[in-house]
Amino acid sequence: MNTLGMKTLFAKEVRRFMRVPGQTVLSPLISTTLYFIVFGYSISTRVHEVEGVPYLPFIVPGLIFLGIANNAFLNSSSSLFITKIQGTVVDLLVAPLGPGELMAGFIGGAMVRGLVVGGLTWAVAAIFTGFSLQHAVVAAYFLLIASYVFSVLGMLAAMWAEKFEQINFFPTFVMMPLTFLGGVFYSVRELPSPWDQISLFNPMVYMVEGLRYGMLGRSIFPPALGGGILLGLAAVATVVAYLALRSGYKMKA
Amino acid sequence: MTLPARGAKPRLLMSAPVLELQGLTKSYAKLTALSDVNLSIRQGEIFALLGPNGAGKTTLIGSICGMVKKTSGRILLFGKDLDEDPVGPRYDMGLVPQEINFDPFFTVAESLHIQMGYFGRPRDEARVDEVLTALNLLSKKDSPTRALSGGMKRRLLIAKALVHRPKLVFLDEPTAGVDVELRRDLWTYVRKLAAEGTTIVLTTHYLEEAEELADRVGVINEGRLLLVEDKASVMRRFGERRLVVTFEQPQAELPEPSRRFNATLSEDRKTLTYVEREGTPPSGELLRALYAQGLPIADVETRRSRLEDVLIEILRGRPQKAA
Repeated sequence: MNTLGMKTLFAKEVRRFMRVPGQTVLSPLISTTLYFIVFGYSISTRVHEVEGVPYLPFIVPGLIFLGIANNAFLNSSSSLFITKIQGTVVDLLVAPLGPGELMAGFIGGAMVRGLVVGGLTWAVAAIFTGFSLQHAVVAAYFLLIASYVFSVLGMLAAMWAEKFEQINFFPTFVMMPLTFLGGVFYSVRELPSPWDQISLFNPMVYMVEGLRYGMLGRSIFPPALGGGILLGLAAVATVVAYLALRSGYKMKA
Repeated sequence: MTLPARGAKPRLLMSAPVLELQGLTKSYAKLTALSDVNLSIRQGEIFALLGPNGAGKTTLIGSICGMVKKTSGRILLFGKDLDEDPVGPRYDMGLVPQEINFDPFFTVAESLHIQMGYFGRPRDEARVDEVLTALNLLSKKDSPTRALSGGMKRRLLIAKALVHRPKLVFLDEPTAGVDVELRRDLWTYVRKLAAEGTTIVLTTHYLEEAEELADRVGVINEGRLLLVEDKASVMRRFGERRLVVTFEQPQAELPEPSRRFNATLSEDRKTLTYVEREGTPPSGELLRALYAQGLPIADVETRRSRLEDVLIEILRGRPQKAA
């Protein structure tokens, strides 16, 4: 394995988003904080508790997850897509970088951005609601797997897309609906039938509930269930991405 | 006087080829870009691949360098089959692509450090400075790549291809858009690399470039490799030398020595023309015979074929062989 090459790509990906921190870190942090302030304060006066948890602390795990998922996805998808569009993908194809190195570099960089935004969101939220971490290992697992899964999905989206309209499709028409329907601002058990059942097919629900369990100690699902589903999703996404890179799908002529 | 022959260069080592293509084919749905290409590149040589637009030059280089998935055939890079080890052999190769590309987030120096890292080389400031100096980019070391002119961006592409000291370098139209002075500097640099043992494969539309640099030339057209031969041999076989002798007065008839040379006399009977090709007597012999006869010669002009003329002949389908 080209370890130095992999480290170079990872470092490059991190430096890339750190070159424009306003766009990559500050902007998502501000929008997540606004969700917290607007949704949290406006609704918490009417909804005092959800699933036995005060409303403001209840939405914090979901908002952290929102920051992680969106930014991990955006980083890998935009970076790889722009690499294809601007032609610098040649540098990656000519170099002795196999699928493993490429995945480690892009996914690693995207996970860092996702976790940085998620971490800063948590820090901001803690100012309003205080810091809560009931099950640190569980929280760490869901933070990491959420950032990993969305990083890989971002890579897959970038490999598939050939136009800007296609790459923008995912955040707007897939990510946003799924995250807002993932129980970030409400409990999925409070949805009317059949939407409560349909929500069970949304993997984001399990990520949010898993993080909620880790941080608040309460969840509507056993964390092992969500953890297992997400591990399966991560495994499938990893294999698909690896095979796509190895075959040169939409990257080689 | 015969066309000058070119002796074998001492730097061309008689070792295993650095690159071998065996039956390389690339087909798309409606087009065959490469058809059964067989080619062997020797260590230390400069090989120029010539052909018109759409002939398959970039597809051939892309297949070797990892940008194009071949349909069939084998590619052996430093003796290793890329089907068995697609990554390992790439540590020692470099590519200057045809299209300019750059990452706007990084400076010139950072781009080279990243490139070295991709090829598994540890960070080396001195090497980066050396390459930037050779390509006249040292003053732009800390400039963002987006601030470079087109010519500078092309020089940066060359720097990226060479910074990790590859043993085999592909240059796909490397001097397109580059000014004359820089083109000459780059030629000097390419010759220096070759003298140090780097093998170079270049495609170019500037036939003067192939003429100046290449040890061997290949001609590709419509995906087929038509010819691979030593440049000097190509020039001898397909090239010609034209001798034009102008007399002080019109000659009543073709001078006797020139009759056995199949020379021709112009309509005004003042100009004699002889075309020397492979297998015909050398033009110097005719000139000596004309002087020996004491003919009133006013002017003598000789013109040697250019590689451009040769290429046109080959593409028109004059009999050739592939080596």
